[in-house]
Amino acid sequence: MLVGASVIFGFVMVLLVLAFRKHDDAPRERLWIVKLGLVFPIAVLLALLAYGLFVGERLLPRQGADVVSVKAEGRMWAWRFSYADVEGRTTQGVLHIPAGVPVDVAVTSVDVVHSFWVPRLAGKLDAIPGHVNVLRIEADEPGTYHGRSAEFSGEGYDQFAFTVVAHDDAEWRSFLAGEIE
Amino acid sequence: MKALERHRRMTETWASDPGFKGWFSTVSHTDLGRMFLVTAFFFFLVGGILAMLIRAQLATPHSAFAGPEIYNQLFTMHGTIMMFLFAIPTFEGLAVYLLPKMLGTRDLAFPRLTAYGYWCYVFGGSMLLFSMLFGIAPDGGWFMYPPLTGPLYSPGINTDFWLIGITFVEISAIAAAAEITVSILKYRAPGMSLDKMPIFAWYALVTALMILTGFPPLILGSVLLEVERAFGLPFFQAELGGDSLLWQHLFWLFGHPEVYIIFLPAAGVISTVLPVMCRTTLLGYGWIVAAAVALAFLSFGLWVHHMFTTGIPHMGLAFFSAASTLVAVPTGVQIFAWIGTMWKGRPDLRLPMLHILGFFITFVIGGLTGVMVAVVPFDWQAHDTAFVTAHLHYVLFGGFVFPILAGLYYWLPHFTGRLRFFRLGELAFVLIFVGFHVTFLAMHWVGLLGQRRRISTYQPEDGWTVINLISSIGGFVVALGIGIVIIEVILHAVAARRSARNPWGAGSLEWAMLTPAPAYNFASLPHVTSRNPLADNPDLAVELAQGKGYLAAPSRWRETLTVEVASGKPDYHVIYPGNTRLPIVMSAVTGIFFLSLLVKFYWTVPVAVIGVAVLAWRWVWELGRKDDLPAQSIGHDVELPNTVAVDHAPGWWGSLFLLTANATFFGSLIFGFAFLWTVAPGWPPPVWFEPSAIELGLGILGGLVAVVAMRLALRANDRARSPLPMLGVAFAGTLAVAAACGLLMLRTPAPAEHAYGATLLVMGGYGLFHAALVSLMVVFLIARVSRGFTSPVRRAEFPIVVLWTDYLALVGAFTLLAAHLTGYLA
Amino acid sequence: MTDILRILISPLVWLASFSAVYGLHGLICGHGIEGDVLGFPLQRVLMVAAYAAAILLQVMLVAGLSAQRFSSPSAFVRFVSRVTAWVGLVATVWSLLPVVTTTYCL
Repeated sequence: MLVGASVIFGFVMVLLVLAFRKHDDAPRERLWIVKLGLVFPIAVLLALLAYGLFVGERLLPRQGADVVSVKAEGRMWAWRFSYADVEGRTTQGVLHIPAGVPVDVAVTSVDVVHSFWVPRLAGKLDAIPGHVNVLRIEADEPGTYHGRSAEFSGEGYDQFAFTVVAHDDAEWRSFLAGEIE
Repeated sequence: MKALERHRRMTETWASDPGFKGWFSTVSHTDLGRMFLVTAFFFFLVGGILAMLIRAQLATPHSAFAGPEIYNQLFTMHGTIMMFLFAIPTFEGLAVYLLPKMLGTRDLAFPRLTAYGYWCYVFGGSMLLFSMLFGIAPDGGWFMYPPLTGPLYSPGINTDFWLIGITFVEISAIAAAAEITVSILKYRAPGMSLDKMPIFAWYALVTALMILTGFPPLILGSVLLEVERAFGLPFFQAELGGDSLLWQHLFWLFGHPEVYIIFLPAAGVISTVLPVMCRTTLLGYGWIVAAAVALAFLSFGLWVHHMFTTGIPHMGLAFFSAASTLVAVPTGVQIFAWIGTMWKGRPDLRLPMLHILGFFITFVIGGLTGVMVAVVPFDWQAHDTAFVTAHLHYVLFGGFVFPILAGLYYWLPHFTGRLRFFRLGELAFVLIFVGFHVTFLAMHWVGLLGQRRRISTYQPEDGWTVINLISSIGGFVVALGIGIVIIEVILHAVAARRSARNPWGAGSLEWAMLTPAPAYNFASLPHVTSRNPLADNPDLAVELAQGKGYLAAPSRWRETLTVEVASGKPDYHVIYPGNTRLPIVMSAVTGIFFLSLLVKFYWTVPVAVIGVAVLAWRWVWELGRKDDLPAQSIGHDVELPNTVAVDHAPGWWGSLFLLTANATFFGSLIFGFAFLWTVAPGWPPPVWFEPSAIELGLGILGGLVAVVAMRLALRANDRARSPLPMLGVAFAGTLAVAAACGLLMLRTPAPAEHAYGATLLVMGGYGLFHAALVSLMVVFLIARVSRGFTSPVRRAEFPIVVLWTDYLALVGAFTLLAAHLTGYLA
Repeated sequence: MTDILRILISPLVWLASFSAVYGLHGLICGHGIEGDVLGFPLQRVLMVAAYAAAILLQVMLVAGLSAQRFSSPSAFVRFVSRVTAWVGLVATVWSLLPVVTTTYCL
């Protein structure tokens, strides 16, 4: 996208510079407006739109056999996570997930609007009081990922962060068994 | 009569009161346009200082300069001031100053309304400044998302300053928009058909229509949120049947068109200035008009792209993503039409042209990053990071500030009658341009590295320190450049050489007059036969001053004429009101109304409302005449009827567009009702409204009776019979609507306990208010008739009340049906 | 005023149909409307029908504003209103395209 944008920008700039050198006596409405103003952007944007729709479709949280479900509940200024696989198990500020498996995070809030964002795992999704939104994330490798709340929420917003710990198979089983805090 | 003698006599009629006292009673568009622009520029400086404070805070990690409490106020006020107190009023000021001059007439449609709007802006803006000086400024972000801004999480007065102050300022936007629309459609020089209008007028017309339909959702949102905060009616609280998403919809339904409301006037400036700088005419005038219209409409289909991360279903997002990419097409048409214009002409690198080049470079980058964030998956990462902050500054600074600076330098000789002498502007341009790009390119970068918007500090280990420091240094360079612009403008006003008329060799009518502009603009009104009248006839200014146009005879009234909307044929003769303090007094009383709400001093609220009603009565009453005015000769053997005798007087046109805004407000309210019903959690409500066929029938029938009776009253008046009996019936009809709406409000179940009741209460209140308003209008007509102010000739006030009665019947019926039918359904 | 309406009507109809289809999608998802017509899911059929109706409306506007009978006496307004009519048509086809390409209610 960056390359495409740079090329278009460069093209427009060249046209601007040439305006100071060349001089068209015939006003060429058809060239400037129809070809450059209409056809050119429509072609570029149509391609972009198709790409956006395609990728968006791929990111959808479709039902699957091995999807792990967790719940993220935002409040000023902490996240509380609970796990469908273990009844009554909650963690504060740290979300545990298995690596290499798609995870559906059901995001909600008990006070104001927050946003759940782990930049390296997925895009962001808002936590809105009264609504539950589902975000699909997946960590390819076990490890620790930084997460942030990305919707302005007043005075504690600066420090409003959390971590996601992705476990390998063995670790995840021991987490489920209650052996990791 | 000699030109000089005509100038003297015209000035006598048109001049504002001398000295600074004249500022408070002036209704001249030239004065008020300048006042708007100076005030808006003042707010630009205030907003700019806030920006500098923000950059100072972010320049280093762990900055102890401002804690979150202050910092949140800083960025909230920066956004709010730049949007509401700088950008929109700058458009209003420019349009108010330029339009009558470009359109070849003597003033705007409603001179007193211009003044009223200006003072509302000043008083509302002062409220916000006051809150900032005392450290109690709004701190919930310029978008004010509840529940953070709701009564629970923002109990202080800070948020109220925003909701009430901005609503007060919006009055001026709506007033100016209605006025600009009517002025462009009706107040033009004879012969100026739609295809001969200056391109700036087209842009201003589209922008004004957008303000009329874009601002009401925000006003509604502000009213609902303030009512929730003050009286506990739950519109945005999920546990009581409200939904905070409703605010986001209403806000962005306004917020996205707002971006184009800011951009379009700037595009109008470019389309006006660029061809002059290239010594040619605009390429593709018709295409550009169509592109502006397309842009205006498409921008209303984009609002959800600010809400891509709120969990709206995928297909919903896809609609708005598609519409968001599409909006780049009409923008592209305009950009290439401008470049084509440059190829067609011979561009000169004079100062306004430099700023236009600055616009091109900056805005194209902003547009391209805009297309990127229109793609949903990319937006999910970039949303709420500094990348978006950088993008929006490229669009707004590039798309508004550069063109406005180009316009400033272009029209400066018109404001002052002088030419630049010191040539500081080129240096200022370089500083602003370079500083801007350093600041915001850096900000794109740090945003992609993950820096969120609106954080007051960050850690050294985040690795953003150097980039932020560079960004801050760039910011201060911009400030230096703006400082030099101010110095140059001041120097220019006091110590530059006199300019000849039309220094740029432009072809539009605003240059066909003395500079600085005389109070009456044109001593006689031109007959327009092309898009560039001054280019066709360079002696036009002299001929008009000699009285060779229309309405050349000086009179003791301020006279002008209107034209038919499409063809530009002369339509009717208009007499303007003179200097008066009524506007400033009325906006002060309006201010008392808002201030009482702000400090919760509720017993002065009805006093202020009655005060406004009394002043409004006087406002309209003053226009009356006790004698029939015969058809007026405007010269060149044309006779026109006066406003009092026509069906569609300026007041009718003004009402039409005011009602357009009003209907959008009502439509947003209905949308809110439907939205809560279908989307909000916590429905159905515990208790439903108890429907009543009698009340429903009373209200709808009352409205119908009023509609028919008003028409019969008009007919009776036209046939020289007394309209009083029918006016009485109409009055009874409006009272019936009032009663039905009042009963609805009284019987609404537990409005503080569920959003359903709360919404019904507001809808009933809306109906009741309009019923009261229209019955006041009918009483006004009764007073007019009894005092002998009407006759078969003096009849123009009847159609205006007919229009308002129709509207009342419609919204009354809608309100009552919405309440009673939902009761039946449940 | 008629001339101004000629210029505004097509984009206005686009705005109305765009909002209507968006609202229809919300209704279908919010109220769990389900079923099938000739093997196609009812949800999709409803939305495609609305999409087709919106396009048809725009085609009629393009045809109407191009016809002698409804177009303006002014050449300029004729030109602008035809361009905006095409804007309405293209915008309808383009912005509601996800109706046929995209998963609904997810």
